[in-house]
Amino acid sequence: MNKKRNILKDPYLIIFLLFFIYPFVPYIGKYKALGSELLIWSIFALSFNLVLGYAGLPSFGHGAFYGVGTYATALTIMHFYSKDVIIPLVVAAFFGGLFTFLYGYLIKRKRGIYFALLTIAFTQILYVIGFRWDEVTGGETGITSLKIGTFLGISLKDPLYFYYFIFLLFVFALIIIRRIANSPVGKVLLALKQDEKRAQYLGFNTEKYVWYIFTVSGIFAGLAGGMYCLLHSSAFADTLHWTKSGDVVMATLLGGGLVNFYGPIVGSLIFITAREFLSAFWDNWMLLYGLSFIIIILFIPTGLLGIVEKIREKKHIDSINNGNNNSTMNGKSRPTKILTKEER
Amino acid sequence: MNVNLVLALFFNGIVLGLIYAVVAVGFSLVLGVAQVINFSHGILFAFGAYFFWSISNTAGFWIALFLSPILVAIMGLLIELLLVRRVYGQDPLFGLLITFGFALAMEEVIRMIWGKVARSVSTPFFAQGQLIMGDIIYSKYRIILAIFSLLILLLVWWVITRTSFGAIIKAGMFDSEMISALGHNLPLLRTGIFVIGAFLAGLAGVIAAPLWSIKSGMGTDILMPAFIIALIGGLGSIKGTIIAGLLVGTVTSLAVLFIPRFTDILPYLMLIVVLFYKPKGLFGEVTILGEVREE
Repeated sequence: MNKKRNILKDPYLIIFLLFFIYPFVPYIGKYKALGSELLIWSIFALSFNLVLGYAGLPSFGHGAFYGVGTYATALTIMHFYSKDVIIPLVVAAFFGGLFTFLYGYLIKRKRGIYFALLTIAFTQILYVIGFRWDEVTGGETGITSLKIGTFLGISLKDPLYFYYFIFLLFVFALIIIRRIANSPVGKVLLALKQDEKRAQYLGFNTEKYVWYIFTVSGIFAGLAGGMYCLLHSSAFADTLHWTKSGDVVMATLLGGGLVNFYGPIVGSLIFITAREFLSAFWDNWMLLYGLSFIIIILFIPTGLLGIVEKIREKKHIDSINNGNNNSTMNGKSRPTKILTKEER
Repeated sequence: MNVNLVLALFFNGIVLGLIYAVVAVGFSLVLGVAQVINFSHGILFAFGAYFFWSISNTAGFWIALFLSPILVAIMGLLIELLLVRRVYGQDPLFGLLITFGFALAMEEVIRMIWGKVARSVSTPFFAQGQLIMGDIIYSKYRIILAIFSLLILLLVWWVITRTSFGAIIKAGMFDSEMISALGHNLPLLRTGIFVIGAFLAGLAGVIAAPLWSIKSGMGTDILMPAFIIALIGGLGSIKGTIIAGLLVGTVTSLAVLFIPRFTDILPYLMLIVVLFYKPKGLFGEVTILGEVREE
């Protein structure tokens, strides 16, 4: 009984299973590239959520590190090494981490709107470089038709093999990110999200934690960017534009990243499929996309899993009122307070 | 280096900077008083230009000049009442996202109504032609545009620094709760500021319309310069916004001579440098940028 609840509360095994059998599901299984894109986006959104959902920092320029990863992989394949895909991906993760490490040093003290604006400024600088530096980045046309290498000698030309390659990386990334989120570091970050001063009084060097999580997030964002480059065998400056960074914020919020670790995956699932199908059927799908931002902020600011969480909380409170203390909340359920109400 | 070219670029920079400043003033006032990063500010600018295009084609130049900013101000009123009002006092990201979503949706609406093709407006009859000063030939419209923008900015500056309404606005930036404690209607003040900001954005769109081609992405394009200038100048300082506008305008314009391809980077670099050395901006008196700790 107890075991069953734990699986539902922390359902990473179920998620792995679902994604593992996805290519063989009738009707939807044939969209393997879509599945790969979804897995890549999930990694990106999960890494982003370490910053937004755990540390509570409103980064609005996370596309920067994703874009850095894309270009890092593309340039590595083009100029240095194209035989195996692992090395270009490692390079992508490295540069994603390096950029966040350096940038994190500059902004680890900044909070709130200040943080959001500086991240926007940073991604725009990279965007201009990517867009204009024709010699290296290919400028407006980007880097296209890259030759994708093999993975341990296995050709990734077949979409099915490619999907499972991405799936392996997804499993790897999710386990590590989950581990970090559930580690003491994750708890400190949640504390600093709620009340940074108090966390400092408890002796935590909050700036160091912010810097650390920002860098970790950058590593995985870079990795996701590198995988995106492999999927499309190209790299464009578009991913660096600040409006694109809105996508990952949207996906994370939609799923409920603010209150649940798995929110970003749910959000990416809805976001990617909706985008893919709407843009195929309707030219003006951006209208719905914009409106959905408004609807989410106004009506479900804690996202879809936020609703689930609320129901769960209500059940819990009811059960306490009924004198049943057995169903204790374990540490997995996160405080729903991100709305830092004006406390001045 | 050709002196005339440098002078022409310099003047272009000033004109550009003044238009930026008109957009940025509204952005800055909203950010200061309502404490919302208003990402719909750019799209209001675009609507100003599109309204102007449509109305001036049917009803003539003067009616368009007066009617378009008012229509944009009404849009601003609706945005504030229906959307932005709900996120006051919440996480800054929410205000940013809700206005961003609105801007995305409206950009698509513009494409649906006016099509994807860029439109252009001819300069009004009284401002056509060139002005010749010695060696320099300069477009008359740009000069009129610069004077008009400067007049708008001076008017805003006068209202903020010399009238009692301006005093309430400034007080609202320092301590919004105190404003309501003193018996002023804070929600009304915020709505008013939002409408004024929208009006200024619309007006800037109208006067810039003959200069640039009117396209659906123009709102996104102007948003970043506006927000950079508002922050460099410092919130609550009209003087700072004007100076920052001129600075960004002339620097990016003159940089064409040295780094023609990377001029767009300069505003962002300037922003980052200013925010690190003077977190409140060059002339800012207040900050809402979270906890800016004195180090």
